[in-house]
Amino acid sequence: MSVISTENLTKIYNSGTTAVTALDHVNFQVQPEEFVAVMGPSGCGKSTLLHLIGGLDHPTEGQVHINGNLLTDLDDDSLTELRRRQIGFIFQFYNLIPVLSAVENAALPLLLDGMKPIEAHDRAIEWLSRFDLADRLQNRPDQLSGGQQQRVAIARALVAEPSLILADEPTGNLDTRASDEIAGLLRQVTKEWGRTVVMVTHDPRIAAYADRILFLKDGRIVDDTLLETKDGSSYDAVTAKLKEIGD
Amino acid sequence: MSVRNALLGLLAQRPFYGYELLAALDGIVGGHNAWTVNSGQIYATLERLEKSGLIEEQPVNGTAPDKTTYTATAAGRQELTEWLSAPVQTDLQHDEFYIKLMLALSLEGSDPYRLIQIQRASLYQELHAVTTQRDDLEIPTNLAQKLLFDKAVMHLEADLRWLEMIEARLDDVKRQPVQQVEMRPRGRPPKSARGAKSPPQTDKP
Repeated sequence: MSVISTENLTKIYNSGTTAVTALDHVNFQVQPEEFVAVMGPSGCGKSTLLHLIGGLDHPTEGQVHINGNLLTDLDDDSLTELRRRQIGFIFQFYNLIPVLSAVENAALPLLLDGMKPIEAHDRAIEWLSRFDLADRLQNRPDQLSGGQQQRVAIARALVAEPSLILADEPTGNLDTRASDEIAGLLRQVTKEWGRTVVMVTHDPRIAAYADRILFLKDGRIVDDTLLETKDGSSYDAVTAKLKEIGD
Repeated sequence: MSVRNALLGLLAQRPFYGYELLAALDGIVGGHNAWTVNSGQIYATLERLEKSGLIEEQPVNGTAPDKTTYTATAAGRQELTEWLSAPVQTDLQHDEFYIKLMLALSLEGSDPYRLIQIQRASLYQELHAVTTQRDDLEIPTNLAQKLLFDKAVMHLEADLRWLEMIEARLDDVKRQPVQQVEMRPRGRPPKSARGAKSPPQTDKP
């Protein structure tokens, strides 16, 4: 079963008298453990797509299935629960809570879900340690580098063991070195820990870590490129795909 | 790469057996994947270097006579010094993709946007492969080779950004056709034209 499946996903924003089509009948699937980058010029609908997949916004038309659940069928409570348990979010500016330590930030989703603090902290420590932050557990965000803060944010996204991670420009605020580190970590999240990652980025260097790139333009997918070249056949696959899209 | 100069540089350091040179070159560039030189090239180059008097054979005591090492001569060291102190020229404007694109713009039935898509997919695959190889390097021991991978990454990034720019401007470029070459008759002008006076210029004020 696909982790993500969209059908004619469309979003139109009405501002005053003009309607702007941010997404225009988008269809695609993402399989388990795939690392997908979404690219395209600004205003192409990348972030809208991520918000609709994450249930943060409602489509004007069309459908999103997450692990077989049709998002538009869910009431607000069920949607909140699905977001908390099945989807982890990562943002450009980390969105950590300044007054909380690394471990408290990472444990937050579990505490909100009603887990006992001691158990939640243990789980948070486990993820933070995997991300080389075992000696930074008690530090507040302002005592951490940008790269370290983003690693805390990734730990927070993973702590509830979601199957899907959605990342919106996760390296947009980081220098080259920290960006590579975070992109490498997201790759590890798919390859080692078996999660699915969809990442919006404008940076080719970062997109190259993914297995697949979706290119959006004017709200449509104009290109779908496989990057994995394990058997050397992927170039043919890509060319075939391009023919499909073009014809 | 100039295999010739690279070999000269190695042989100026110490004597090498022919077969050692291949491994030594791989060691510099970070493995056979980064830069493929085969042993045939090495031996052919050694032969030419020897003929030019830039390297010489050095028999090794106590081994079979066909086992010889090579070392740089004084002339070889001189040439190496000159090569090291000269800048390396780049040739960025000889770009095959550019030529393809320009032709596709004016050839019927070819879609320049498709060309861009295919090129972009291929560049991303290359970038993905280089990124993966670079991240597989053991950094404490392979820091030097990482620089070469970084170069590849940066150039591929630049090419991808260039494609983005082309895509954004392609419609403008299309409207501005490639300048036509003025056709001039070749060879001697026909008799009737010979000695004929140029037509009076009427567009003068």
